[in-house]
Amino acid sequence: MRFRARVHLRVPGIVLIWLVAILWSFPILYMFLTSLKGEADVLPPSLWVAHPTLENYATVLRQEIVRYILDSSVISVATVALCLVIGVPVAYAVVFGRLSNSDNLFFWFLSTTLFPPVAVIVPVFLIFRLAGLLDTVAGMILIYTGFNIPIVIWMTRSFLLDVPRELLESSDIDGSSRFASFFSVVLPLARQGIVSTGLLVFIFVWNEFFFSINLTYIHAAPVPVYMASYMTQEGLFWAKLCAISTLVVLPPMILGWFAQRSLVKGLTMGAVKG
Amino acid sequence: MESALTRRQSRILTLPAILIVAVVTQAPILATLGLSLVRWIVVRPDLGISFVGLDNYAGIFSTRDFYEVVSNTVVITVVSLAVCTTLGILFGLMLNNQFPGVNVVRTLIISPFFVMDAVAGIVWRTIILNSSFGWNEYFARMVGVRPFDFFGVHALLTIILLIVWQWTPFFVLIILAGFQSIPEEIMDSARVDGMGWFKGLLFIRLPAIMNHIEVAVLLGLIFVLKVFGLIFVTTRGGPGYSSANLPFYVYKTAFLGWDVGRAAAVAVVTVAITLGAVLALFRWFRGRLAEAGQ
Repeated sequence: MRFRARVHLRVPGIVLIWLVAILWSFPILYMFLTSLKGEADVLPPSLWVAHPTLENYATVLRQEIVRYILDSSVISVATVALCLVIGVPVAYAVVFGRLSNSDNLFFWFLSTTLFPPVAVIVPVFLIFRLAGLLDTVAGMILIYTGFNIPIVIWMTRSFLLDVPRELLESSDIDGSSRFASFFSVVLPLARQGIVSTGLLVFIFVWNEFFFSINLTYIHAAPVPVYMASYMTQEGLFWAKLCAISTLVVLPPMILGWFAQRSLVKGLTMGAVKG
Repeated sequence: MESALTRRQSRILTLPAILIVAVVTQAPILATLGLSLVRWIVVRPDLGISFVGLDNYAGIFSTRDFYEVVSNTVVITVVSLAVCTTLGILFGLMLNNQFPGVNVVRTLIISPFFVMDAVAGIVWRTIILNSSFGWNEYFARMVGVRPFDFFGVHALLTIILLIVWQWTPFFVLIILAGFQSIPEEIMDSARVDGMGWFKGLLFIRLPAIMNHIEVAVLLGLIFVLKVFGLIFVTTRGGPGYSSANLPFYVYKTAFLGWDVGRAAAVAVVTVAITLGAVLALFRWFRGRLAEAGQ
């Protein structure tokens, strides 16, 4: 893959592209700008921040949002860990193991990603209520793990297919078992892909709305639930709203920036050569 | 080879995942199917739970709300995917050049994809589109017209706008990867043939990345049919049901009406529509591919 200029851009073209990009991300940029304003300076809308302040951040970090961020962090990190520990071995077995039905198995996992969360929400809610899992961190981790394992298998498989079989076979000859070969041969080569897969799952879970709003209330509520309720409770404090928003979108944006290339490769491989 | 993963080892490695995924995603779908055949209104325990056959389905198909919601879902999906694809190609072309700050520009365009629904909805709804205080009002006053009514008459359009904003980056990432995978020699030979830029795009580059576009549309379809958070925090499906899609309708039936049976029935219909749409699109793409191969 090379990056070559197809057309020599002149200055107006470059300016236009920059304008489009700034306009596209304007809500995010302006959200950040607003978070630096005093509450009194928010209206009327203006691009100029007369008295930049970090006061909003200091205020919101003393509020209950911190607890929601903690819940989100615990749920996301635990889900990522579980998904990788359970999902990566499946991809490994599908690619390098001896399964009579490895293709079918893989497609079964793939097909589960087709089902929208609404397909399960009613029974899951009822079972969670019965089992005392409503509004618990454990319940959220369970549901997210189930829904994200297929994504891990899907992406990791693409990265494992890249690992040359001969390498694995030569390590077989060296007498190391395939379990050991996973750590000595496969993991070092596929590490970047697996890490990106983990980052992607983190982003999905951190941002997830449907399950979190329907299955949690106070005790295990992650950030999206807080955001949704903030609108009704304190909807008028826009500067603080923007400060909170900036804080909570930062982690996925940073991780997403690292994961973007592998994301494309992992999701499209198999369907697309290149 | 004796040190290779044995059949048994392979099976053991896959077992935990099969178990969890089956329990969390597959068993509940069967339960949903079962629940769609009973009458169970949680807030009316006096009615009890009784088997009613296909009554819930008959009930849905006889309400006008349902058809409005289905039509909204179709409109949202078709329009968003069309616009996302078009913008994805345009932005992909833009980013497939070498110019100062190309990495910053790519980051700016990609970033909405990583913003959570809740924040995207709230930020658009307040500081941007709010008709009393946001930029919407600011520009309307500058021009001297009334602010655009994003959350009343045009609620459905607003939902589409937000989906396009969030999902175009995903299309850009995949389509850009497509453009970058076209071998330079093909482009050179097109140039030797005297093809102009536009003709080259239409007859060489777009056909060459058709696979990428198909993958983007297929994945986009799966994701767009699941959209819920954006609607929840902006329009709540309203006014009426004018901006509700199927997932939101399930939510409303289940958690505001507490009608378990009917919610399950809508969920089953949603799954059927999703699978039908994905399969149809997949077939269509395969068919197109087979035709091209002949």
